[in-house]
Amino acid sequence: MNDLRMNNLALKDLRILDLTQVAVGPYTTFLLGFMGAEVIKVESTSRMDISRGQARPTPQGYRVYPDNDPGERPWNRAGHHIHRNPNKLSLTLDLSTERGKELLKKLATLCDVLIENFRASVMDRLGLGYEVLSQINPQLIYLKISSQGATGPEKDYGSLGSTLEQTAGLASVTGYEDRKPLMTNETYPDPVGGIFNVGVLLGTLRRRHKTGQGAFIDFSQREMTASMLGQEFLDFSFNARVAEPMGNRHPIFEPQGVYPCQGDDMWVAISVRSEEEWVGLCDAIGMPQLARNPRFETALARRRNRDEVERFLTNWTREQDHYDVMHTLQKNGVPAGAVLKGGEIINDPHLEERGFWDEVHHPEAGFYKQVTTPWEFSKSGRIQTTPAPNLGEHNEYVLSDLLGMTSQELYELEEKGVIGTFPIGAE
Amino acid sequence: MTEQDGVLSDITVLDLSEGVSGPLCAKLLAGMGAEVIKVERPHVGDESRNAGPFPNDDPHPEASAAYLFLNMGKKGITLDIEADTGSSILRRLARDVDILIESHAPGVMESRALGYSDLEPNNPGLVYTSITPFGQTGPYRDYKGGDLIIQAVGALMHPIGLPNKEPIKVGGSAALHSVGMSAFSGTMMALYVRDVEGYGQHVDVSAMQTVTVTQIHASIHHQFGRIPTRRESTLVEAADGWVNPGLEIGVQEDTWKKVCDLIGLPELADDQAFNTREARRTNQQDLLAIIGNWVASQPKEQIYHTLQGLRTIAGYVATVKDLRNSEQLQYREFFKTIDHPVAGKAVYPGVPFSIDNNPMTQSRAPLLGEHNLEIYRDRLGYSGEELGRLRSTGIV
Repeated sequence: MNDLRMNNLALKDLRILDLTQVAVGPYTTFLLGFMGAEVIKVESTSRMDISRGQARPTPQGYRVYPDNDPGERPWNRAGHHIHRNPNKLSLTLDLSTERGKELLKKLATLCDVLIENFRASVMDRLGLGYEVLSQINPQLIYLKISSQGATGPEKDYGSLGSTLEQTAGLASVTGYEDRKPLMTNETYPDPVGGIFNVGVLLGTLRRRHKTGQGAFIDFSQREMTASMLGQEFLDFSFNARVAEPMGNRHPIFEPQGVYPCQGDDMWVAISVRSEEEWVGLCDAIGMPQLARNPRFETALARRRNRDEVERFLTNWTREQDHYDVMHTLQKNGVPAGAVLKGGEIINDPHLEERGFWDEVHHPEAGFYKQVTTPWEFSKSGRIQTTPAPNLGEHNEYVLSDLLGMTSQELYELEEKGVIGTFPIGAE
Repeated sequence: MTEQDGVLSDITVLDLSEGVSGPLCAKLLAGMGAEVIKVERPHVGDESRNAGPFPNDDPHPEASAAYLFLNMGKKGITLDIEADTGSSILRRLARDVDILIESHAPGVMESRALGYSDLEPNNPGLVYTSITPFGQTGPYRDYKGGDLIIQAVGALMHPIGLPNKEPIKVGGSAALHSVGMSAFSGTMMALYVRDVEGYGQHVDVSAMQTVTVTQIHASIHHQFGRIPTRRESTLVEAADGWVNPGLEIGVQEDTWKKVCDLIGLPELADDQAFNTREARRTNQQDLLAIIGNWVASQPKEQIYHTLQGLRTIAGYVATVKDLRNSEQLQYREFFKTIDHPVAGKAVYPGVPFSIDNNPMTQSRAPLLGEHNLEIYRDRLGYSGEELGRLRSTGIV
């Protein structure tokens, strides 16, 4: 990153009040943080973000900690928290107390955006919904991310990214060729929704820049996930066909799949989309004569003789490193990709050269490599990762520097349990 | 801009992209009110016109579901940008637009003098978004890849699937869609900067990088010593499909007892193998076997509503058909019936957000070259004669 871009942060004048938790909202706000926004993450000592895990985890309940060691303050070193909450400040505020609500409202007058992903009715029930906050700060942009949207009979249903895959249809097309649906185990709708929301929010912010208008954004994660099945919905509408899992296959491309490589649980993905790529593949595997064989000439012919094609391919991939297969095929013009593991992606030379990973020294979790942004801008820079904050680490900055409270007032708030740095249940 | 207008109703976009990701990005901009002019190759059009599926499985370039969905709300023109005349027309068009979206391999646009640095001098505010599998720089920049390949290299798919079987990708073209969404966000970021600071810029969207951002566990788990692996499915078979009971993370403490009563096994309420969230996670497969009997006798959507009523986070595996019948989605008017001169009436999924309760714009995809007259004659001022010449030489 050159210095010019470092000093040129897209969102440097924005302040975000971040009431999100778990994953979808935290993804949106860590990305906004990378682009220079000041993000104030609000939790409380009685209700931490569940990504921080339990205050005192039982061995059975262990989540992911560096070296599998929860340490003295597990809530500050849980892997999910560390990974999803960089570039933020941490404020604790018990929103079930009158004082907590009052301070949140004050803070909302100093912020450009509020983002939350509670069950749909929670903020209204706390008396902190858009109706209330927009009275106090008419320019506020309120981004409400919920699993089902802000309205409808299921609006207060609970969900995680993992359940949304099912209720939004994605699981119905994910799975092997035996057609049984599968979950991704990757809570896929969360990070994707996190990325998408950045765009929705910025569109609304540009309107505010021109007109001064605040806004209420109602974002449904279930609908976002369902919208990824556009052509499947149209196929149902046209042909009454209900889409099913088809493994790694493609309706047209042949061959397409993953093939075993040298090493433990190592694989390479290959996808042939045209006759030109088929010729390239035959050359690459040292069987140019296959390209002239009418039994394999077209995608349809190769599908009819799939077992044979798969055997040729597997025999060739099996003895090689998956990166080598990818490079050889790509140099022959064939789309191929090593099926990378977590330990490989953090050292991938391409992402390395693009400066994708940030090396982070987290004060409580130690050294690790952090995911950054899906895009690069020619003029706007991003910040180097600021480690995920400890619980309540920035109480003093927010309450004293921004809201002008005295240290005596802060002390009283702590005495009453409105703020704190130790979760309830940690003693 | 008034309150009723879309937030992008002052914005014009040139969409030169093909396939899924770029067109989806431009479609989202159209949904927010932008005028999007899709530029396609004469006669051939976007590759997604051949992708299908088609009504009655009868291939027709104007009736491909992939194209119809990904290009909603756009105007369509044809232009051969490989010809010098064509590329100079494009340079003219690019002077007066706010955003350009393209998905050519790195270097292709530059070779036609249509790169960001070629267009920027005549339009300093231009936001120029390039969407490629691997980005504009780095050792893999010239590599190719679609949905499967980017799920592989982005470390998304290795932990997906069953033990002792190969990794499986997220279905449909989920990753390509996520890249379109990420391109949309990157484009909006640059547009916001342009409005505030006055300058445009080049946005480099890498599919691999986007997918790597969406792998939520693999990289961090690996680094903290807990390697994610493919594991047994947690879906349970109901009378008419599959459900996920959702009895672990995010469930309230008193929910388990209610579930035990519901399934007629009240004695399990105090069983230490299942009476905490953590225990249920540890003994997940045993738990699923126990509730499997009850689940097998009920319809999946009913199980979903019943278990959600007890404050679980249950889900049911909804198919596209189930979703069309979902009361929640019907209440929100998520699906829209839209007519098309060739494909006819069809039901399209909508846009997943609203701003100030105003839903986004929804209209059909353009026919190939449908807006040639409007753009070339009315906007650029070509005479009928000039346009005829461009047609006969295959430029338009």
